[in-house]
Amino acid sequence: MKTIEIIVSPTGESRLETRGFQGSECREASRFLEAALGQQTSETLTAEFHATEITQQNQIEQKE
Amino acid sequence: MSHVVTIETEVRDVTAIRQATRRLQLPDPTYGEVRLFNDRKRGCAIQLRDWRYPVVADVTTGRLDYDNYNGHWGSQKELDQFLQRYAVERATIEARKQGHTAVEQSLPDGSIKLVIQVGG
Repeated sequence: MKTIEIIVSPTGESRLETRGFQGSECREASRFLEAALGQQTSETLTAEFHATEITQQNQIEQKE
Repeated sequence: MSHVVTIETEVRDVTAIRQATRRLQLPDPTYGEVRLFNDRKRGCAIQLRDWRYPVVADVTTGRLDYDNYNGHWGSQKELDQFLQRYAVERATIEARKQGHTAVEQSLPDGSIKLVIQVGG
């Protein structure tokens, strides 16, 4: 399931996180929200990004 | 791939301002020129609870003008609450425009979580 999770702090700052997207489509999918909310102050790739990569590799190895 | 983005809210959308004021049971925003102590500002005026002067949003720049005299004429907490509500309303409006569903949840630390399910 593809989701975009936004946590808005009590001071109004938003932290947006994408989950379940393939490749760079997560950036595409959340761009409209980033543009709507305001100025981006930081961007990082999450641990899930690396976990997804490893899981995909394992699946490929198991199939072979 | 996943990524995390932190965004500082800019108040630019009149519909979201209106929805935020309704949800917080504040008067509807008005548009025009208003007085802030010794200054006058034009924009979308939001009257926060127990604030002497309104907060004026310039929706073309996202800039907010206000004079709360370091909290003596209105508490920062009221403004923060408005900004939080505005961000939630704005994100919900945009998500629905794209045909996505958005579910809101209050967190124990006072944050609001919005989960947007992206179809397709």
